[in-house]
This record gives sequence, C-alpha cells and structure tokens, in this order.
Amino acid sequence: MSRELENSKISEAIPTLSKLLSNNKGAFWQSLINYTDAATTFNEMISLAAIRKKALKSGDIPMPSGLDSTLRIALIGGNSLYPLSSLLEHVVSLKIGRAEIFTGDFNNYRAEIVDTSSKLYQFNPDIVVLLPDNSICRYTGTINDLDEDIYKASESLGSDLFGLCSILQNEIGAETILCNYIPSPYFDLGPLRTRSLASDWNFKKLVNLYLGSKAPNFVHILDLEFLAYRIGGLASKDEKSFFESKQLCSPTLQVALAKEIVHIIEGRKASAKKVLVLDLDNTLWGGIIGDDGIDGIELGDTSPRGEAFKALQTYILSLTRRGLLLGICSKNDYENAIEPFRRHPEMVLREGHIVSFKANWKPKAQNLIEMANELNLGLESFVFVDDNPAEVENVRQFAPSVASILLGPDPSEYVRQLQDSRLFERSSITKEDLNRTDNYQMESARRSLLVSSLDMDSYLSSLEMVGTIKKFNKIDLPRITQLINKSNQFNLTTRRRSETELEDIMTNPSYTSFSLRLSDRFGDHGLISVVICRAVDDSVLEIDTWLMSCRVLNRQVEEVVFNEIVELGRTIGARKIKGFYKPTKKNSMVKDLYTMLGFDPVDSPQDSVEFELSIDAASHKATHISITGRE
Amino acid sequence: MDSLQDKVLRQLQEIFDELFLDEIIVTPELAATEVEEWDSLTHISLVIMVEERFGIKFRVGEVEATKNVGEFINIIAERMNRLDG
Repeated sequence: MSRELENSKISEAIPTLSKLLSNNKGAFWQSLINYTDAATTFNEMISLAAIRKKALKSGDIPMPSGLDSTLRIALIGGNSLYPLSSLLEHVVSLKIGRAEIFTGDFNNYRAEIVDTSSKLYQFNPDIVVLLPDNSICRYTGTINDLDEDIYKASESLGSDLFGLCSILQNEIGAETILCNYIPSPYFDLGPLRTRSLASDWNFKKLVNLYLGSKAPNFVHILDLEFLAYRIGGLASKDEKSFFESKQLCSPTLQVALAKEIVHIIEGRKASAKKVLVLDLDNTLWGGIIGDDGIDGIELGDTSPRGEAFKALQTYILSLTRRGLLLGICSKNDYENAIEPFRRHPEMVLREGHIVSFKANWKPKAQNLIEMANELNLGLESFVFVDDNPAEVENVRQFAPSVASILLGPDPSEYVRQLQDSRLFERSSITKEDLNRTDNYQMESARRSLLVSSLDMDSYLSSLEMVGTIKKFNKIDLPRITQLINKSNQFNLTTRRRSETELEDIMTNPSYTSFSLRLSDRFGDHGLISVVICRAVDDSVLEIDTWLMSCRVLNRQVEEVVFNEIVELGRTIGARKIKGFYKPTKKNSMVKDLYTMLGFDPVDSPQDSVEFELSIDAASHKATHISITGRE
Repeated sequence: MDSLQDKVLRQLQEIFDELFLDEIIVTPELAATEVEEWDSLTHISLVIMVEERFGIKFRVGEVEATKNVGEFINIIAERMNRLDG
C-alpha cells in the first residue's frame, strides 16, 4: 500500500469508527485494530485510544474474545512515563488483553527496584519496562582518554542496568524490557564525534552494543536507538517537552516505542513462522514462465529488474539459514514452473531448497492446506507471498490463519517488504533451525525406505535410532522454550512458558523435567521431545507437559518417553502417575495417547481429561530406539 | 468571513472531541480548571496534539502561562501567521 493511501485511510479513521460505533458494532474492533496498526502519529493514536474508551464506556460493544486476560505492566524510568502509558495501554488492550499499568515516579527507578516494599513491588508486575535516564549515559572522563577506559566505563554502565534487571527477576519474577539509549543527532564535536569513543554519539552506541550483545535471557532489549534511526534522529527529539514534562523523546517516537513494547511482549510466547510459500511469476522472477519461456523471464544481473528479483531470491535463501522452510505455490504447469529451478543460470533458489512444490491450477488456499498436511505443520506457521491481490484474498478468506504478504508494484521493494513484515523475527537461532531443510529432506528419504520395507517393525529397526535423554540444562533451554511455545499437535496440555519460567522450573525441586534427542542413520533430528513432571506429593507424579515434534511421529519416541516417566516415578517412590489431556483445536492426535499407554481416565473437569496409571501396573514398552547418554 | 481565531477554535473543538471522553464546548473563556478530565496529564497530550495538527511548535513555558482557551488560540494563530508569512 502506498504511503498516500495509508494516510488518506488513517485520516478517515475517526469518522469511520464513529459511524461503526453507532451502526455496525461487529466491525468496530477489527477496524480499530487495523487503524491502530497503521497509526504512526501521536494524534492518530490518542484519538483512537479515546474512541476505544468511548466504546467501552457506552457498554454495548463487548470486547472481542481472546482479549480477556490481564497483563500487569510496570513502566519505570528516568523520565515522565505519561503519555507513553496511555499509548501503551491502548495497544496492549487491542493486541493482548486488559492492561494494568503502573507508572513509576520520575527518575525514581533505582529506589523502586531496590526497595522491596516500594509501590512497584506492591503492584507485582508480570513485565517491567525500564527506560533508564539519559543523563547517566555519559562518559565522565575526558575526550582523549584511552579506548580501554571508555570501553570499561560503557560496560560498567551496562552491567549496572543488568544488575537492576536481575533484582526484578529474583525478587518479583518479572521479565524486564530494557530500553537502550538514543544517541544525540546533533553535529556537536564535529570530527571528534566519530573519532573519540568518549563522544555522546559513540559512547551511547558502545553502551547499546554492550546491552544488546550481553543481555541475559530474562532481559529483552528494546532497541530505541534503532527506532530513532528508523524515524529519523531529529524527528525523535523534542527538547521543549523534556523541560516542560520530562519526556524521553518526541511524541512520534513514543508511538513507535509503545508499539515495540507490545511487539516484544507478544513475541515472548508467539510461535515462529516455519514455512514461506512463494508465488513464481512476477514474484521470484519478472514475466510469465508459461508465456515468456526460460529465456524470456527477467532474472539476474543483466537488467535492473532482473537484479531486483535475484536480490529477493538471495534474501529468501538467507531466511532458510534461520530455519525457514520454502514452498512454491504457483498457477502454472509443473514442467514449466520447475524448469528455471533446474536450468536457469541466474536462479539462486534451486529444487533442493524447496520442501513442497505446488505448480497446478487449483485455488492457492487449497494448495496451502494440502502442503500443511504433507509437512505435518499448522497453517498458522505459514507465510504466503504473492504479487496478485486476488490470490492473497483467496488465501485470506479460505486459509485465514496463514499470514500473507501482498507484494507491491515495484520489485525493488520486495526485499524490504519481507524484511519489514516482522514475520521472520527470532530472539535466538537454534542448531535445529540451521538444519531444518536437511531434516525435511531426510524425511523424504526415510519415507521411501518405509515404502520398500516390508513391515513397520523392520523399518524401525533399519533406522538404527539412538535416543539421548537429558535433564533440562542451560544449553538446551532456547530449543526447549521454542518447542514449548510452538508445538501444537503432539502436545498434551499446550502450556506455553517463557525461558525465564522454564529456568524457575529447572531449579524447583518439585519438578523433574527432561528432553529427548533422536538421531538415526540418516541424520540427527535434534531435540524433539520435552516432558515436565511435578511431584504432587510423595505418592503422585503428575505430567504437567508432554510434547513432541511431529516429524518423529510413529517412531516409538512416545514409548521411550513413557518408559522414562515411569522410571522417574519409581525413583521418587510414587505409586501413581497422573496425566492430562487438554483438548485444543490442534492436538486431537494425542487424544488417546494415555489410553493407548495403559492409563485409565479418572475425572473430566470441563476443559481437560485426567488419566491415572498405577506404577505397579506399568509395563516397560519395547522399542527400536537405543538410549544412550542418559543423565 | 471567519477570522483565523475562529478557524483555530473550530479545529480545537475537533481535537477536544477526539481527546476527551466527555463532550466539551470549547469557548475562548474556557479554562482547564472547569473541565474535570483536563488535568496536567491530558494537558500534555492536548499540547502535543495541537502542535502536530497545526504543524507548529510552542516555546518552553509558553502554554503554561495561558489562562484560558482564548489566550491559547492567540498563540496558535500567531505561530500560524509566522508560518504563512
């Protein structure tokens, strides 16, 4: 969408919403959410916030479902936290749920954090947003000091802030969103600005580098330096508002800041996209392969347009190194569509990069649904990219959980559009991510082996599977967190947890948790199953979480995990093992798991089914997985 | 013909309608003390909204010194005139 269109749209926001408020209440909230996503100025956001409050006040428009949880957010820092708190409240209420917001006193954050009887502690936040004061982020020596001394000063500033965050983590159990510093956009110091590390410009960047690269996992860095750079240094500043009401930055940057806080909060538990599905004609290359032929399509370094398409392919290839899988969905005859992947010298993407290739004349939504079934992945982990609005509309209507990107008219903007979509962000990249395409390709090799094997038993035995069981540990934690927050199908209770919550579980003696890795003669699947058990009392071991990656379905991993849980129960002297099945839209595949393993259903509270197994009755399940390296 | 002051007053009414939940009739005589919602915090938002909407910048301390909407409008009008000229 062009900038002009967006502007004209947002300028109509208030009249449009006012109309909806009186005669189409059903459409009001979605429309408000869309306008809020598009809003960039303070005026727009405050007007939208006010109309939301009016709607709630009128009382006859219920909030949409899914937004009924409450999140307690504390804003503390070296500046005035209003109107940031208002902006934040508005965005949170439309994206996450009811927001209870605590605003700390002006520049009182140290006392608030250190004094465990402060109002901050009484408020008991889930999340603390800390905006440290600019005035302390200065190098106090001279401009000619040694670089080492200046580095040291920047590190001690950064580690001091981490220290405050760790108090919040230890005393309240809250995760912190820590904002970094905005380097001054003024010409002051001239050549020395870049020459000396002691300049405000360089020193703030040094501190920010330290904060970003050294942040412990309970600290989420909010990159205010980047946001300011994005909207422009001068546009980020408002000197008068600092003197009048101690504002940190310009109103426009505060809007971006509020949105970014919510983005980080949402991202903590959101599941990452796993599959990027691409159109071909006028998406990966210019022109129509079926009409123009392999010599006629625009791709590669001979023309500016061709270069732009090639750049898009190069960027997409880089996404596969972050663990994304690629699919093709194109209205074409297969033979035409595959030809450039095999023969065009300028193609960056090749057949081996694609895990599912759909070139046919079926509706694209249908192809995406089939692809999801084939890959055993949910549609909500799919991103669809096309230059044709009709195709994007088809997908939005018939496969609404797929995120789609409609490419604009100019291929030079394509890479930027993907980079700015915010769909491919990761807080960390695990080893499993790096090998994912290989894993899926191995899976096809395994499937062909299955066809040639006579029966399941000899197939499994031929795989030469090796499992490794380990208690949770720091190294595995990012991957464990990732699985806990994205596994939907083989997941008995679908309890999402942040890395910090899992760290607590690691050290809590009433929990016993383990993960399982699996490899076979085709390669390593990595860490694919996670179990969290809790000793309820001396006699009962309760299975709080049990999940498994679907790519190892039908490999007897369930049985191995079951054996291990029983073993755990015996070790702690439990007499019974309790398990739960909490049905969701996606986990029906494990509905009968406990029954199959010999558990008896005992009680069915409203939203889950409870199962029990007496330890004495539990039999060891024979499998073809040999267990090594248990610890 | 409308004076510039009248135009500013009308636009200010729009901003008030969007910012405040209660309906407030904006007049030159209106003062912050007469409006319950118009506290020191909403005042910050009001000033920012006016600056953005009119494309002007107030000087430090300037708005604080005004006693009512009429004086506020005068500063806005003066700043707009300087932009035009």
